[in-house]
Amino acid sequence: MIQVENVTKRYGNFTAVSNINFEIDEGEIVGFLGPNGAGKSTTMNMITGFIEPSEGKIIVDGYDISKKPKKAKKQIGYMPEGVPLYGDLTVKEFVTYMAELKGCESKTKKERVQKVIEETGLADVQNKLTKNLSRGYKQRVSMAGALVGDPKVIILDEPTVGLDPKQVTEIRALIKKLGKNHTVILSSHILSEVSQICNRVIIINKGKIIAIDTPENLENKVVGDNSIYVTVEDTEGKMENIKDKLSQIKDVRLISENEDKTKKYIITGEKDIDLRKNIFETFAKEGITIFEMKKADVTLEDAFMKLIDDTQKREEENTKIENDKESKEKVDKEERASDEKKENKNNKKLEKKEEKKKSKLRDENKKEEK
Amino acid sequence: MLAVLKKEFKSYFLSSIGYVVIGIFLFVFSVFFYLTTILYGSVDLGSLYFYTALYGLIIIAPILTMRMFAEERKSGTEQLILTSPVSMIGVVFGKFFAAMGVIVITLLISFIYFFIVRYFGNPNLSAVLVHMLGFILVSGAAISIGMFASSITENQIIAGVITIAFLVMTLFMQDVNTIFANASIMNFYSDFPSGVISLKEVLGLISFTAMFISFTIIVMQRRKLVK
Repeated sequence: MIQVENVTKRYGNFTAVSNINFEIDEGEIVGFLGPNGAGKSTTMNMITGFIEPSEGKIIVDGYDISKKPKKAKKQIGYMPEGVPLYGDLTVKEFVTYMAELKGCESKTKKERVQKVIEETGLADVQNKLTKNLSRGYKQRVSMAGALVGDPKVIILDEPTVGLDPKQVTEIRALIKKLGKNHTVILSSHILSEVSQICNRVIIINKGKIIAIDTPENLENKVVGDNSIYVTVEDTEGKMENIKDKLSQIKDVRLISENEDKTKKYIITGEKDIDLRKNIFETFAKEGITIFEMKKADVTLEDAFMKLIDDTQKREEENTKIENDKESKEKVDKEERASDEKKENKNNKKLEKKEEKKKSKLRDENKKEEK
Repeated sequence: MLAVLKKEFKSYFLSSIGYVVIGIFLFVFSVFFYLTTILYGSVDLGSLYFYTALYGLIIIAPILTMRMFAEERKSGTEQLILTSPVSMIGVVFGKFFAAMGVIVITLLISFIYFFIVRYFGNPNLSAVLVHMLGFILVSGAAISIGMFASSITENQIIAGVITIAFLVMTLFMQDVNTIFANASIMNFYSDFPSGVISLKEVLGLISFTAMFISFTIIVMQRRKLVK
């Protein structure tokens, strides 16, 4: 349905989007995910033909958006970021105007407008001026504008930003419903939203695609180990030797000691084995009382953070390698000096890494406590 | 184009702009009706339309045009238009004719002066129609300038100031050097007041308008490249 081929967008020296490639099939709900300034909106704006890519081409339903913009744009309903509306029009007038812009025939226009207004739950406010509506309703009006005329592709830029929880669930339900007979692309920086709604996720960072996959696969990718958190009361100090009693356990680590003398451990086992039953039985035999036991799950959030961290690390390493090469070409003395510096740097890095680990553990503990 | 025209024309009257414009226009008309017609006891309406075009358009053209593209750019509704399957040419002409619609309404109301004079004397209807034709053409030129100014900025005030500056400066620049004479739209309005349609002036005004409309279309089509 949509093909994006080698698309790059530059603003002067700044590359907003660099050489991205992906394809979206009919009937998919695809989520763009990325931190602020990652290039999500730029990519969406290019797909809708609002911005011309510096390089590459975008094909929507078989039409190149640069060469046959009218035909390509007819297939697209777009809800821009920040919900721009004409404040002096009423909801109904606005949706009608959008229908006219999209070239709806005047015979079916009225019906279509009414249908969309009902679908988006705007029937009660249809005669109000759009500037007097609340944020949530404005969002819906903008969405109605995108939906009118039944475009094959619906592109929503941050559709749930600034809505209250009830409205968010309503909008999500609406998007899911739309996904049944439309191709939907949406952007978001709320991960749970994307994993709930989308069939596929495209993660963008600094204008580059880091990953394209289903939310489940992305989560699985990050699951390194099979870990379980246990909180136990262990008066006899038997936890130290528990590894020998249960052969499937790879590692036992103490995370925290609580005030009520219970201790919290993270137990790592081999992959694909659920340790919980064995732990329960063995601990009971050993006289260790289990207060709490929980499997550590990985969320899309973790996947996202890890992917972004990984790419940043890789970039840092690359630049480091380049720097090293340059320094080697220099005189010996300088080389020695730089080596020393590097050692220092490495030491510092190791320290930093350890610190990071510690802080992560701390965070995890906090989460657990919550 | 029709959708844009309809919406823009409606917008003029949904906000107060349409009424303000017509009000100011009629005020200027009335002032010059007194100064040029009543005071001299003449039945000739040529100078009425000339002076209204000369002074009225300097105020009216920027008010009518400054928000055309600047406001859309600022509020982001530009995205809605640029991503819908309408051509930029259609959008620009839609907005242009919507503004012209307001001018035409004013001109229709200005028939009042014709009927007032007719009560006392015997004015020439065809001459008045020629004055009006010239008035429409001159207004078109002024609106096209304002529209272009609005398309190059997202600040309405700047757009308005550019339009006023252009209309005022060109009046005086021809005294600096005759090279600038053709930049002033009022120079193409010298035969109309005497009830004569001069091909040179009609073509001059139409090409002037066409030039600035094309500039606007070019600017707007380039938007997606530079944005």
